[in-house]
Amino acid sequence: MAIGRRIWPVEGDPLRRNPSRAAQPRPSEPGFERWMWYFTRISGLALVILAMGHMLIMHVLVQLTGQEINFAFVTSRWGSPFWRIYDLLLLVLALAHGVNGARIIIGDYIERGGLRSLLVGILLAITFIWLLMGIFVILTFDPATAPAVGPFS
Amino acid sequence: MFGYRISWSQLAWLGHRLSGIGILVYLFMHIVENATLAFGPDVYDLTQTFFRNLPVRLGEIVLMAALVYHSLNGLRVIAMDFWPATTVWYRPLTYAVIIGTVAAMIPLGLIMITPYAPWNGS
Repeated sequence: MAIGRRIWPVEGDPLRRNPSRAAQPRPSEPGFERWMWYFTRISGLALVILAMGHMLIMHVLVQLTGQEINFAFVTSRWGSPFWRIYDLLLLVLALAHGVNGARIIIGDYIERGGLRSLLVGILLAITFIWLLMGIFVILTFDPATAPAVGPFS
Repeated sequence: MFGYRISWSQLAWLGHRLSGIGILVYLFMHIVENATLAFGPDVYDLTQTFFRNLPVRLGEIVLMAALVYHSLNGLRVIAMDFWPATTVWYRPLTYAVIIGTVAAMIPLGLIMITPYAPWNGS
């Protein structure tokens, strides 16, 4: 066992240093990367509560209380502003946290240059569309104006 | 498979990365699935029936395991970042994350699989 021996972070040894920017000690120079380093950790703490809470409600509590997820279930949940704000916060934080992680993973495997910029650009463009779609669905959900009969009936 | 001995920290890091990508991909699909809410109860309730079967439920159990692991390992990383003294305990903490994930997934997995489990006749 290695208890008592300081293993990580290893200073100055590139072979034993964790290769990921995501897992590295805080970026030494202030700027965007340092802000994202803090954001990842702070949003991560919030997401432990928000995401685990969401999964425990939707997949464990619903199961244990014999309910099922359908339009009526969503109507009763999003009838409360608390759960709408909860889900909105979860959507924005999870997407930003995850996409920033994906951006760092792209950066770890693709050398600085045109391809990296292209991939990160595509990632951000898709994320922007998906973010708007998610926010739109949460904010505009209204059973009173929803079409009662869909095209498949 | 690897040309060198892989350490627990590398394995924990790989697991964090893979679980993170998995959860992100799921999130993108989940946003699309939820967009069917805008088309009213008929469309949404029909969409939800696609998810009520054993293969999807097994996927949801994998998602839950990924989230539990990513959460616990993330807490370990945060502790080591903001409290460097804890890096001395990195190995026992890594074991604790793995044991914690398995221990949490036993009841969670059993609860989640119950309605679609083969031993329940469905």
